[in-house]
Amino acid sequence: MSVEMRELTALERGTLEGAPVLVGRPDDRKLNDDLFLPVWEKTRRGWLALFGITLGLTGLLFSAIAYTFAKGIGAWGNNIPVAWAYDIINFVWWIGIGHAGTLISAILLLFQQKWRTSINRFAEAMTLFAVIQALLFPMIHLGRPWFFFWLFPYPSTLATWPNFKSPLLWDVFAVSTYFTVSLLFWYVGLLPDLAALRDASKSKAARIAYGIFALGWRGSARHWRHYRIAYLLLAGLATPLVLSVHTIVSFDFAVSQLPGWHTTIFPPYFVAGAIFSGFAMVLTLMIPARKVFGFEGVITQRHLDNMAKVMLATGLMVSYGYLTETFIAWYSGDKFESFVFFNTRARGPYAPIYWTMITCNVLVPQILWWRKARENTILLWIVSILVNVGMWTERFVIIVTSLHRDFLPSSWAMYRPTWVDWSILSGTIGFFGLLFLLFLRFVPSVSASEVKELRRELEHEAHAGAHAAKRAAPAARVR
Amino acid sequence: MKVTRFEGGRSTAIRALVVAVAGLGLTLLGGFFDPQRALQAYHVAFVYWAGIAVGALIVNMAFQAAKARWYVVVRRVLETIPLSSALFLVLFVPVLLGMGHLFPWVDPSHLEGELRRLAEHRRPYLNAPFFALRTAGYFGLWIAVSHLLHGWSTRQDTEGGAALTLKQRRLGAGALPFVGLAMTFAAFDWQMSLDLHLFSTIFGLYYFAGSFLAAFAVLILAVNASRAEGLPRALMNANHDHSLGKWMLAFVSFWAYIAFSQYLLMWIANLPEEVPWYLARSKTAWLPVGIFLAVFHFIVPFFVLLSRGLKRNPRALSFMAVWILIVHYVDVYWVMMPALRHDPEHGIAPHWTDLTALVGVGAAAVAFVVWRMRGRAGVPVGDPFLEESLRYEPS
Repeated sequence: MSVEMRELTALERGTLEGAPVLVGRPDDRKLNDDLFLPVWEKTRRGWLALFGITLGLTGLLFSAIAYTFAKGIGAWGNNIPVAWAYDIINFVWWIGIGHAGTLISAILLLFQQKWRTSINRFAEAMTLFAVIQALLFPMIHLGRPWFFFWLFPYPSTLATWPNFKSPLLWDVFAVSTYFTVSLLFWYVGLLPDLAALRDASKSKAARIAYGIFALGWRGSARHWRHYRIAYLLLAGLATPLVLSVHTIVSFDFAVSQLPGWHTTIFPPYFVAGAIFSGFAMVLTLMIPARKVFGFEGVITQRHLDNMAKVMLATGLMVSYGYLTETFIAWYSGDKFESFVFFNTRARGPYAPIYWTMITCNVLVPQILWWRKARENTILLWIVSILVNVGMWTERFVIIVTSLHRDFLPSSWAMYRPTWVDWSILSGTIGFFGLLFLLFLRFVPSVSASEVKELRRELEHEAHAGAHAAKRAAPAARVR
Repeated sequence: MKVTRFEGGRSTAIRALVVAVAGLGLTLLGGFFDPQRALQAYHVAFVYWAGIAVGALIVNMAFQAAKARWYVVVRRVLETIPLSSALFLVLFVPVLLGMGHLFPWVDPSHLEGELRRLAEHRRPYLNAPFFALRTAGYFGLWIAVSHLLHGWSTRQDTEGGAALTLKQRRLGAGALPFVGLAMTFAAFDWQMSLDLHLFSTIFGLYYFAGSFLAAFAVLILAVNASRAEGLPRALMNANHDHSLGKWMLAFVSFWAYIAFSQYLLMWIANLPEEVPWYLARSKTAWLPVGIFLAVFHFIVPFFVLLSRGLKRNPRALSFMAVWILIVHYVDVYWVMMPALRHDPEHGIAPHWTDLTALVGVGAAAVAFVVWRMRGRAGVPVGDPFLEESLRYEPS
């Protein structure tokens, strides 16, 4: 006896497939016009206003840094025992935000996910700008930042040699590799679009500028072949980096013996948290940008939906981290370990920050189980901002609460950030926004060449599906 | 297109059943001579095979949650493997009856000093009734979810339609956090609590990583076992093999990542309350086993599985699947045995019941799964994406 293989009606297919990854089938010309519009159009007033604000905040950032250099690290709220505070909190926060770019460009490429094509450029740019912010912090925390090159192992007459047993040094390599590969990946992906901008530009200055950056791209078959190979190799290189960077960041804490820091779940839990915050930041930036530039046809409901789901999944992994940490703190029978989790964090002086973390990272994302919530862009935008806040408080909780009350009550102390700390934090947000605004203005924020490729793939697929359905039709009649 | 119902496998199931009876019988016989040692061997075998069944359940749930289409052609096999959780619930009874011989916390009065303090401290969690209740809960959840998914999928064979696909996707996503938590706590209960010195937050992921990897290995072997009509093999193309191989490669790396993270962090902190677990495995005869795992559970399979040609060749991939199943057993053995035997200094000392228990429990699971495969289509014919899965051809 045998059973029949069934075909699905168009209606059923619609319910299962969700929103399309590309609305309609715009031709190449239309895609060029739409996607390059933000570059060609006259500067918008809103852009100028935001540019002014972020420029001001960037000024504040560099003033605060100059003040720090003049006064020394004492200008910050850091003390003993809280010797690490805003510098490392913000470092970890920004580095984490930078993780969505590589995940989208590399890992989703390996997973054969079509929805990555129209958001990867955006996410990669965000990654680069976030990593720049992150890199500022260890640099200015060095105390003598002009000696930063001592971190590199080079044959110096001073016979200085970095301590390879320290994860802080591994950070130097991990983050600089990550930045380099992300930059190359982003830039290689940009080449065809830069060439298209060069060819379409009306002013000579723009033609020369885009021409230089397009590296002589002519779109020949040979160029595309090399481009493909380079892109895949960079994706392969970037994949382990998604895991390695935040793993090493987690080692900064976990290799110590401090309760609340020394726990084995840290590496995967930090990576999950990084992707969680990275997707939250992509959504925070993309939802308004998509609206303003009218990109709803290429960055569709499907993209937002999928990103919301990634956020939900990684949020659950972060919650899993909290749960196992808390359970094992009790299970271990270690007094100091349970004191951190059941007393210092949950009921100590920083308890409101701890409960903000639980609310933003554990409770709020649960709303994303509902499709209605994922389809509501305003709600999704608010959730993404709350997750960003939650992930910042998470780093605060990990770093400050563990340090401010360790083994000996006599060495306990409170930590309070100073105005310099706040200026640097808000300054990096401004600097990040500034770089992002420049990106939106001068570079196509959605990859036109890849969206064109996606359109062809979708057409090909629809064709293959229709063909297969025709072949299957006679069997259906036999039944 | 027509797909024949799978009516074969009768002789395979019977043969596996005979092997299972023989293996379990011999283990029981071993139990008359050395009850403690036979029970230890049995517990290791149980944890090994039960983990694979739950791993397969998680693979299916994760793919359902991700709306994966390429794997639909092998999904019937994947959804039948976790049905064996019902069998594992029965097979847990010997562990439950013999728990006094296995877990040091059952009777803390035998313990001294720090270990006794730890056992007393953990008593609200680690006590016999609650342990049994928890395990029943884990199995209740796994049995319920695996039967629902399998039931909807087989119902779809005759009914078709989108509604049953939606149900599977929703349960796959919605129950995943709970199934994952159950597996984590199962790892804490069945493996971690064997050694009271061990408390590691990553431990649940360690059990998951190995089991998930081994579940892919079992899936690869299962689909390659028979070319009989109606079974997936005849319908698959090299791209399916390639993707299954990629998953093995990814999880060989993931296992190494988790294993290395746990080792590095415990080694570098070198805390007296934590490090004895690794000391028992590095300052003793167990050291070569740990090195073996680093080399043959990660380095060698990682480089071998990088080969595109190998992943697209079902025979070569099956060879690697067998490899993975062997090294995963060594891994579970290395995690559990030094803790079970309390005398790591006396060497590895394998026992013949290790083999009989491993084969016996495994063969019982094979017999069960083959029996459950019978009488239904070997591929989910009612699934709307089957046709797309058959022409799976990633660019």
